[in-house]
Order: sequence, then structure tokens, then C-alpha cells
Amino acid sequence: MYIQVPEFLEPAWNLFQGAPLAIQLAMIFIVITTVITLLAYVSILRNRFRGYQRAKRLGKLLPLLDNLIVEEVLANQDPLAQTQPDAVQLNLESFYQLPLHKKWARQATTDRIIHFRRNVRGNPGRLLRTLYLQLELDKDNVKQMKSSKWERKVRALTEFIEMDIPIADVTILPLTNSHNRELRAAARHAYIKLSKNEPFKFFDVVTDPLLMWDQVELFRIITTTEDIAIPNFARWVTYSSNRSVVSFCLKLIVHYNQLPAVPAVKQLLDTKDHYLRAEAINCLGKLRVPDIEDKLVYMYSSQPLQCQIEILKAIGRIGGGQHIDFLKQEFLHSTNFDLRKSAAKSIVKNESIANKILQELLDTADPGRLLILKHCMNPLIKY
Amino acid sequence: MNGLLETAGKIYENTLFVYGLVLLFTYALLAILSMLAIRKYVKRNNTHQLELLSSSPLAPGITILAPAYNEGLTIVSNVRSLLTLNYPRYEIIIINDGSADDTMEQLIKEFKIVPVDFAYNVRIQTKPVRSIYKSTDPAYSSLVVIDKVNGKSKADAVNAGINIATFNYFVCTDVDCILHKDTLLELIRPVMQEERKRVIAVGATLRIANSSEFDEGVMTRMRAPKQLLPRFQEVEYIRSFVLGKMGWSYINCVPNVSGGLGLFDREVATRCGGYDHSSFGEDMELLTRMCRYAHDNNINYAVRYIPKTLCWTEAPASIKIFSRQRVRWSRGLAQLMAAHFSMFLNPRYGRMGLIVVPFNFFFELLAPLVEFSGIIVYIILAALHLINWPYALLLLLFVYTYAIMITTISILWDQLSFRYYKSWREVASLCLMPFLEFLLYHPLIVINSLRGYYNFLTGKRSTWGNMQRQGFGKKK
Amino acid sequence: MVLFTGLNSATMNKILLIEDDEIMPKVVARILQPPDYQLDHVSNGKEAFEKLEATGYDYALIITDIMMPYANGFEILSKVKSHDREKPIPVIIVSNAGNEDMIMEAFKLGADDFLKKPIIPAELIIRVKRLLMNK
Repeated sequence: MYIQVPEFLEPAWNLFQGAPLAIQLAMIFIVITTVITLLAYVSILRNRFRGYQRAKRLGKLLPLLDNLIVEEVLANQDPLAQTQPDAVQLNLESFYQLPLHKKWARQATTDRIIHFRRNVRGNPGRLLRTLYLQLELDKDNVKQMKSSKWERKVRALTEFIEMDIPIADVTILPLTNSHNRELRAAARHAYIKLSKNEPFKFFDVVTDPLLMWDQVELFRIITTTEDIAIPNFARWVTYSSNRSVVSFCLKLIVHYNQLPAVPAVKQLLDTKDHYLRAEAINCLGKLRVPDIEDKLVYMYSSQPLQCQIEILKAIGRIGGGQHIDFLKQEFLHSTNFDLRKSAAKSIVKNESIANKILQELLDTADPGRLLILKHCMNPLIKY
Repeated sequence: MNGLLETAGKIYENTLFVYGLVLLFTYALLAILSMLAIRKYVKRNNTHQLELLSSSPLAPGITILAPAYNEGLTIVSNVRSLLTLNYPRYEIIIINDGSADDTMEQLIKEFKIVPVDFAYNVRIQTKPVRSIYKSTDPAYSSLVVIDKVNGKSKADAVNAGINIATFNYFVCTDVDCILHKDTLLELIRPVMQEERKRVIAVGATLRIANSSEFDEGVMTRMRAPKQLLPRFQEVEYIRSFVLGKMGWSYINCVPNVSGGLGLFDREVATRCGGYDHSSFGEDMELLTRMCRYAHDNNINYAVRYIPKTLCWTEAPASIKIFSRQRVRWSRGLAQLMAAHFSMFLNPRYGRMGLIVVPFNFFFELLAPLVEFSGIIVYIILAALHLINWPYALLLLLFVYTYAIMITTISILWDQLSFRYYKSWREVASLCLMPFLEFLLYHPLIVINSLRGYYNFLTGKRSTWGNMQRQGFGKKK
Repeated sequence: MVLFTGLNSATMNKILLIEDDEIMPKVVARILQPPDYQLDHVSNGKEAFEKLEATGYDYALIITDIMMPYANGFEILSKVKSHDREKPIPVIIVSNAGNEDMIMEAFKLGADDFLKKPIIPAELIIRVKRLLMNK
């Protein structure tokens, strides 16, 4: 094999040709690693330079932008005005002095409007949305929706949710079954927020678990969307076979204090899944369902620990007063520390009804139990 | 005789060759895996989500455990910075591990804490707790202070904290570590995003605090260390966290969640007995035991890492203290391997047994020995004039450039995803380090590892070298 | 303009806003303007204490966030309410923290009002006025 090599590489080339395979490989890799290292340097420098430029550009744009937004959205808000904020024609002239023909500037403007909307709602909030639409920033986002990359689609959906821009069901629905979990979740959130027909429909069909993370996002969307019709969540507590949906609905029932859902939650007390059962007990306690105490006390002895703790807590929360003796029994005779502590807490919580028993316990309890009582009665201790 | 020696030499040479190849290959693989892991992290996460979680009533409660031993200099500002973390539901437990200085007095004065009757369940045995304090000022209602008898180890102090922790997750840190304000939000996120597995521990990138600027426990300017030894450590941390841990995290094989900062599932940690106070590397020891427990009890678990830097710690700046730290770490590793050797290549322990433990055995534990033996053989061969110098130097050059490449890539990953530091000059000063590491820093590590193994084998008693701190109160 | 009248413009009300977000101060500065209000803004707990000390707690009202560097809103609240004055300065908490515990805690510490972000600016004005009226 003959290859023409520059003169200065001649010795290296000769060495290479005469070397055993291992050495030849080593020589090849020396070149490769050196090239990769150099490329890495170039990437670092390029990345830093770009970041520097971005910061400089934004540093110039944002103060201007903020002033314009504040003036346009907050200055002329007259609550008695006749025009709806959605229909106001904003004075956009001053915005056109910004470099909005550039994509980065449009994106920055969108981000800023979203940031404003996290701080203000009401009329100014709706004016911000009008501003977004009249600057035609939504067009970029429609384009982003069509991207083939899932993370861009997710970003687009999030933006639509934040700006409360309706999307056609036909666009979202296929995405709710996407193979990509993040995209699927984002599409569901968008559907709940933006669909006009039946926002909670996907609760019926979803089969994979709602992660704790999804629940945080869903909870916020459901509780902050102003014109959403809140259904009776008992429907899914009864019929859904997806335990994460049931669990999430229990939290919503507590949040909305949905007393009509109580019978459905009661039925959950017979479920085999004891995590879910504990959550149901917790929910009933927080709703302060008065006639459930007997049932809870009755089922107590056959329950696993976490359900027992929840039962003791629930009785403390409901505070009907009929089962103070039961709490006392558990406090005195349970062998488990957590049960004793939960019982004591519930007794202390119902001090007004149980003050006699509490005093009796304070006088007679052994040092360990006395410490628990003191712990629960100390206002400085939170948990 | 000559033939036998030659055969032995051949075997040694070939073993070393294979060993080296596997090691290099693993690093290349880690570089790729870490890139995938970091991209996944960047794609699925944005800062808005953190804001959302910080305002959510569904955020799970977290307990912060911070042991303090003679930290009078910095205790107040550091507790203050813990009190201002962004999180809706958390408690802070400071464990005063029998400090001989005024740590306790400072806490009492500053936060108006008083002893309370506190009932708790001793699940893990520790040195006696003298008293538990709560603040009379409701603004500090999330603060609990434990005053206990010195247990001569961080493990004992943290265990006392685990006993009184309220929430299902606890974050273990050091009082002298400076935390990012979003630490809790970031650490709990992987737990909440996991689909089927139970996340039993989450770690994040640590960095060196030495030249950064702090004001009352808040980081005001992140800077690459100016002194040489801390800067070597900064580069080492970037490589070990951004490239190593992130790569392992992608295939759920994280070997260790650093003691400086980690979030743990309290139930699993308690059930496997908490930290081991006799261990010299209690963080890695606990994680190994937690994974083992999870396997034994059929918990489908995961350990995750995030590439973002959330914690800054003061690194030893003198060779003496640095050596003491590394001797302890390597002794801890040796201890750990001896105690859990039954997991080695044991398919019952899944990836833990087949990947994590063997990797640590061959490439963490044995590496210094192999290197050391290599050098000795080299010297002997050189003395006997049996070395082909051009070839030997070429091989050495190859290893050298390869090491530089791997380190540079880890700096690149870090820069691409977070663009830390203010100027490119600081990054350049870090990029210089791998060139010197081979000659200046690496030999130190090898020597101290060997000393650690020696101490392990001889069972030498070692004192707890407490680091001399300058304190982050206010650096000009 | 019903909302903007009713205050005696001869007395300028000094208000301190403690907030680490960069948008909120701009919003509040726009809706609480002179001559009725004089707004000072600081962006963390440390600056807040410095400002309060420097001015001798001379504020008619304090609006504060909860989660901030150096000292959180609860600490500020506690310090303001325990400050030796004839009548403690009214404090409005403006925070995105949503759980009940935090709201309860704020009121326990003596907060006079709690607004959750995002706020309705008109509502903030009314609440500010009401608290200043009681003065």
C-alpha cells in the first residue's frame, strides 16, 4: 500500500507501518482523541459565545418590553369600560419598534407575556392574552405544534395552556395516545384546559398511571381554570379501574369539598388495595363525614398499619366525640408507637370534648405515654 | 525457569491489555450514556415546572437532615439559608453532634429555640440524645434542633435525625454545604416523574465552593477554584458527577449518592438500619445496603441522578487534609467491597450484582493496585533494557490523550447544558487541568488509595480529621 | 375611576414591596403610583431588614412574598409584627404558595391579608386601601 504523506509526517508514517497492530491502533486513536478534544473546545467556545450574545440581546430587549407591556396592559384598565378585554384593540405601534421580525425576539416576548400572566390575572390577564394574539405570536406556536420533535410539541402545548388558546380536539386527541409519555401527558393537560366539550373525558379512558408529577400539573389546571365545569368526581371513584385516577379524584373531592361524592368514597373502604383504602379514609376524615366514625372503628382491628393510622387521624378530624374512649384505648394499649402518637394527637385535637379524659391520662400515664401527650399538646411542635 | 517467567509475563501483559481496553471502553460508553441522560433531563424539564411544584398543595413533604460538629463559625447563616429554600412543605432538622464550640449557643440565641418534650420512636440506635429544641418564634416553626452526645461519626448524627423525621423523604446534607434554593424541588422531581419504579435515592452534582462568593449562606457568584488542588477536585467532580453518575443513572446503575447531598426514601433507609457508623464511606455503604434491601424484598427500585449543580462544598486546599480525606474514602471502599462481596456477579442482585459491584471492584478498588504494579513492572523492565521505548511512549501518549478527551467531554456536557461560570477564561482554566492531572493529581490519588487499603488491612485506628474551615460567612 | 379616588392625596402612603420576582414589582409600581403611594422595592429578606432599619420602620404598609433568599416572608412578618410600635405595620402576603398550611401560618404570624399569585391588580388596590383606611 502506498500513500503519499507530507514530509514532516514521514517518520511517524514509517513507525506506523512497522508497528504491531496494537501500536497501530493506539496511533490511530491518538489522532481521533485529539480531534475530539479539539472539537470539544470549539463547542465550548461557541456555546459560551452564543450564550453571551443571547444574554446581551435579552438584556436590551426585556426592559423595553416590560415597560411597553405594563403601559399597555395595566395603565388603561378601566373596570367600568364597556368593551371586553378580549375585544380591545391594543395600540401596538410602540411594539413594532422592537425587533419582532426576529424569531428569538418573538419567543422572548411570548415568554415574557407568560411570565406576566403568572403574576396577574383578571382584566389585565385577559389583556395580555389579547396582546399575544394581536402580535400574532400564536402563529409561531402553531408552527411549533407541527414539529416532528416531541419536546417542541410539548412546549407548544404548554404555551397554548398558559395563554388559554383553544385547539381543535382533532389536533389534541391523537396526541393523547402518543407513545411518548411526556407528550401524552401534555396533550391530556391541554385537553382538560382547552377542550370545550368534555374536558374530563380522558379520565374514562386513561389506562396508564397518572404520575405524581402529572397530578401536580392537572391539579393546578383544574383548580385555576375559571370557566371549567367541575363534575362530581364520584363517577370515577366508582367506575374507574385506574387506581391513580381514583386516588387523584379523592384529592379533588377534598379540594372541592364534594359531599355528594361521599357514598362513592365510602364504597372504597371495601377495596382490597390498602393504599387506596388508606387514601379513602383520609378523604372521609378531611370531609368530616360524621356518620362514618362507627364504621371506621368497627373495621379498625382488621386493618394494616397505614389504614389504622388514617382511621385514628380521621376520628380526630371528624371530632364527633363518641369515640374518644376508643382513642384512649388505642393510646394506652397499642404496642405501636405511631398508633399511640396518632391516637394522642386526635385526643388533643378534640380537647374541648375530651378534656376530662385528657386530664385523666395526663395524671395516670406512664412516662413514655406522658411524653407523647406533652409532645402533641406543645404548640411549638408542628408534626 | 526462563520459560515460566516469560509465560507469566505474557499473561500479565495480556490481562493488563484486556483490563485497559474494558476500562477505556466503559468510559467511552459512559460519555455516550451521560449525554443521553442529560439530554433527556434537559428536554423534559423546565424551570416553570419547578415554580408549579413550589406552589402545589400536592408536593410531598421532605425532611432536611444536617449534622453539625463545631460549626459555630457558619451555623447561623447556613441554617438561615436552609430556611429560605423554595419548597412548600419541609422541615429542617439540625443535629448538633456534641460540638465543643459555641454551635449550640449560637442556635439558641439566633433562633430562640427552647428544649421541648419531644416523643419519638428510636428505630435506629444512636448515641444518647440530650434534648430536642424548637423555636418559640413561629417564623422558625419548621426548624428542629437535636442536641446529642458526640458519636464520632456523621452516620450516628444523621441516624438520630432519621429517627425523628416526619416525612417520607429525607434530604441528607452537611451544615457546611451551600445548597441551591431549588434543591428540594429538583431532588423530588425524579421521584414524582418515575413511572413504575420506586425511586429510593436521588443525587445531584456537587461542586467546589472554595473560590465562589457567598453572602450569609447564599451563593452570589460561582467561580472556578483559583488554587490548583481545589481546581483539580472541581474537574474531578465534574467528571465523576456529570459524566460518571449521569451515565450510570441512565441505566439505573448508580453506585453512590454522595454524602454532601442526597434525597432518600425514609422507609427503605430506616428498614435497612440507617447509616453505618463504623463505615469510612457511609454514603456509599448506605446506598449499597438500600439497593440490597430493595432486591431482597422485591422492590422494583431506581436510583437517579440529576446533572444540575445543587450543592457547593468546601474542598481541602492542603495536601495533608486532602490526603486524609482520600485515605478515608478508599478505606471505605475496601470495607464496602469486603462486606458486600457476596453480591459480586450474583445474578440475584440484577444490575447491582452484575454491573455495579463488579465495576467498582475491578475499576475502583483494583485500579490503584493495577496501576502501581504496572509502574513497578515497567521499572524492572526498564532496568533490564527490555522496553521498546517508542512503542511504550506511544501507548502512554494514547492513554494520556484519551484521559484528556474524557475529561474535556465532561466539561463540555456540563457547559452545553448549564453554561456555568461567568467567563470563558474560567472554563479554559478548567480545561487546562486534565493536562496536568496525569502528572500532579493522579499520583496523589493512587498513593492515598493504597494507604487507605493498607489501613483497612491492618485495621489501623484513624481519627476523625475535622476539616479546618474558613467559613463562608462573607468572603471578600 | 372609582377605584383611584377616596384617599386623601395630601398624605403619601409609603409602601414597602419585598419580592424576588422581577415582574411583580413592575406591576405593583404601576398600580400604586404617586401621588397617593410611594413604593419602595427590595428583592430579598436581607435588603428588607436593612431598609426597615434604615427608615426606622417608617412604612404605612408592607407587601411581601414568602419564598425569598436570606430571610423568608414569615421571618419578615414576625419581625415587623414584634417591632416596637404603637400599631404594627399592616402586612399583605403575595405568594404563589398554595397549600393551606402556609396560609394558616401566615395568618397565625399576624398577616393582615393573603393574596395568591396570579393577583387581580384591582383587588390588590382595594385591599391596600382598606388596610390603610384602618390606620
